[in-house]
Amino acid sequence: MLPLSLLKTAQSHPMLVELKNGETYNGHLVSCDSWMNINLRDVICTSKDGDRFWRMPECYIRGSTIKYLRIPDEVIDMVKEDAQAKSRNRTELNKNRVANSAQNQRAARSGNRNNFGNRSGQLSGGPGNNTQRVGVSGQGNRLLAQNNKNRK
Amino acid sequence: MDDLNPLAGTAHLLEEVDKKLMVLLRDGRTLIGYLRSVDQFANLVLQRTIERIHVGNQYGDIPRGVFIIRGENVVLLGEIDREKEQKLPLKEISVDEILDAQRREQEQRQEKHRLVSKALKERGLAVNAELINEDFC
Repeated sequence: MLPLSLLKTAQSHPMLVELKNGETYNGHLVSCDSWMNINLRDVICTSKDGDRFWRMPECYIRGSTIKYLRIPDEVIDMVKEDAQAKSRNRTELNKNRVANSAQNQRAARSGNRNNFGNRSGQLSGGPGNNTQRVGVSGQGNRLLAQNNKNRK
Repeated sequence: MDDLNPLAGTAHLLEEVDKKLMVLLRDGRTLIGYLRSVDQFANLVLQRTIERIHVGNQYGDIPRGVFIIRGENVVLLGEIDREKEQKLPLKEISVDEILDAQRREQEQRQEKHRLVSKALKERGLAVNAELINEDFC
């Protein structure tokens, strides 16, 4: 879980943002982007020395001015639960995938010739394949000829 | 095996994940917590963080919780040795006491600064206190 993904997870949670200049902004995270620019709502701004306060309904903070963000403990727990659920899904998915690929291998082994035939048929449109096709068809003719010979 | 590792020989933080780290910020603050995540900008996620304030040979810890630190504000970080942590040559005092000590230290520094600029002024050197960044003194 990257720091910025964690920030995204913290959306709608209360947080404290301290800027490089020492001002702090307390509010609920509305949105954020990959530059760490953020939107807050119901904000209380505190001056560097902590003796003046401003209240504002919303604010936008440019990411590059941020020193750090403090988020509630439970956000990291949410992430852990998410990650666990995801890894559970992934293992199940992998199990299925292994089962499927085993089936596919079996299928491929039994039908290899047919596959090759189909593929060369599909490729016939390209100019580079002409020689190959001639070769193949030539071989086919020869086989045919051989068969004819055998029949005689 | 090393040839396959794209991070071999480069400075990186991935090995520090989940360890107890001390992080020094550019504003001089010291944070101690468990590193949970990093990215290519050295943005950090610290969990169970405390802010440790040192004054002389005393220190105090303030619990702070979870931090997302923007990488450019980090000066250095390093793993805390759990064994050496037990026998620090420092004395832990309460939060109130350390904040008080910090305030007194700050006042002393300001007083010293005032005297220095006064002395410089008397010798014909005008010093603009606003322009002096205390971080680099």
